[in-house]
Amino acid sequence: MEAQKKLFSETKFYPIFFMIIITIICVGILATFYHLTHKRVQNYQLVQIKKQVLETFDLPTETVSENYQKYIKMQKRDTITFYEAKRENNVIGYCFPVQGSGLWGTIRALVALDRDMSKIIGFTIVEQNETPGLGARINESWFLDQFKNKQIFSNNEVIKYALIPEDEKASKTEIQQITGATASSRAVVNILYNNLVEIIQKFKNS
Amino acid sequence: MTKKQILLNSLFTENAVWRQILGICSALAVTNLLMNSLVMGLGVIFTLACSSFTISFLRNYIPNRIRMMVQVLIIASYVIIVDLFLKAFLPNMSKALGPYVGLIITNCIIMGRAEAFASKNTPVNSAIDGIGAGTGYALVLLIIAFFRELFGFGTLFGLQVLGAWWTKWSIMVMAPSAFFMLALLMWFVYTMKTRKAKN
Repeated sequence: MEAQKKLFSETKFYPIFFMIIITIICVGILATFYHLTHKRVQNYQLVQIKKQVLETFDLPTETVSENYQKYIKMQKRDTITFYEAKRENNVIGYCFPVQGSGLWGTIRALVALDRDMSKIIGFTIVEQNETPGLGARINESWFLDQFKNKQIFSNNEVIKYALIPEDEKASKTEIQQITGATASSRAVVNILYNNLVEIIQKFKNS
Repeated sequence: MTKKQILLNSLFTENAVWRQILGICSALAVTNLLMNSLVMGLGVIFTLACSSFTISFLRNYIPNRIRMMVQVLIIASYVIIVDLFLKAFLPNMSKALGPYVGLIITNCIIMGRAEAFASKNTPVNSAIDGIGAGTGYALVLLIIAFFRELFGFGTLFGLQVLGAWWTKWSIMVMAPSAFFMLALLMWFVYTMKTRKAKN
């Protein structure tokens, strides 16, 4: 028995056999683990989106699902899906998913506009793959809060916000960029601009 | 070597970062915030301990010619487990670390320990060696992150410790400072060692 086993482990097939077996075992374990955590991850993502939509409108987020049902309604116009927020039958504003390329991957975000679609009332990042500690700081609230209450139009044109260093004071059309993450900061501003132009155009037409 | 000696050896004497100069890339990348460093360190400790244990357990069965393939496969599996775990239970951390968790796979400390230690020693000793090497790595990360976060943001673990009077050193947030800090750390350790040896 011992001799035979040794023989098999010396054949050319043993490494292939071994590799197949170990791959099956590893993949099996991973698939099980994925299956166990999948639901949790998905649930979390669903709640997270709802929470972020509420946050962009500055609505309370203690009970996410309830408040979402109370205030938010999903709408569709043309090819754009967006969220409409209402408080006692008065429209507060509209929230649009926006996306574009960042430094390393797609950045997905949500931007909420007021009811006349003239200024931004909230902005939040949904998904990003920027450099941790540098570009990933686009997720920090001080950076995102800068977009709050910014006017969208100047002379009937969508404003492309200019970037200034982190410690300087920003004017109405400026955004403080993140030190060491110029590319990611610029990406965010560009994504916002490109998407807003598209959204405004589609809404004007219909 | 006793178990304690193995641990101390891989933790300090043969520290992966300041003695073997391994794992530099990720040590430079995540160390401008203490929290990111801590989670990264814990991820590496877990992966190192588990992969060393598994590789050592299989060491007499793994065909020599394909041993690296097998090692990478095992390491990758554990890293994906860490990644899934973070996504499910610490989603904010997972968001902040982004692609770096996946990159633990390419951390050369892990394969280094698999080759240098786990493929020649018993599973328990290998796991201890892995915990030692991982803790050594985490230690370096935390030391560097401590200074970078303190000087760069004026905070520690996100808590404001230096007041508004503190002028933030932007360079500490950016990549170059990681090189300075790492070099200073190595210099410090080396000086202490040679001084000790002289006495």
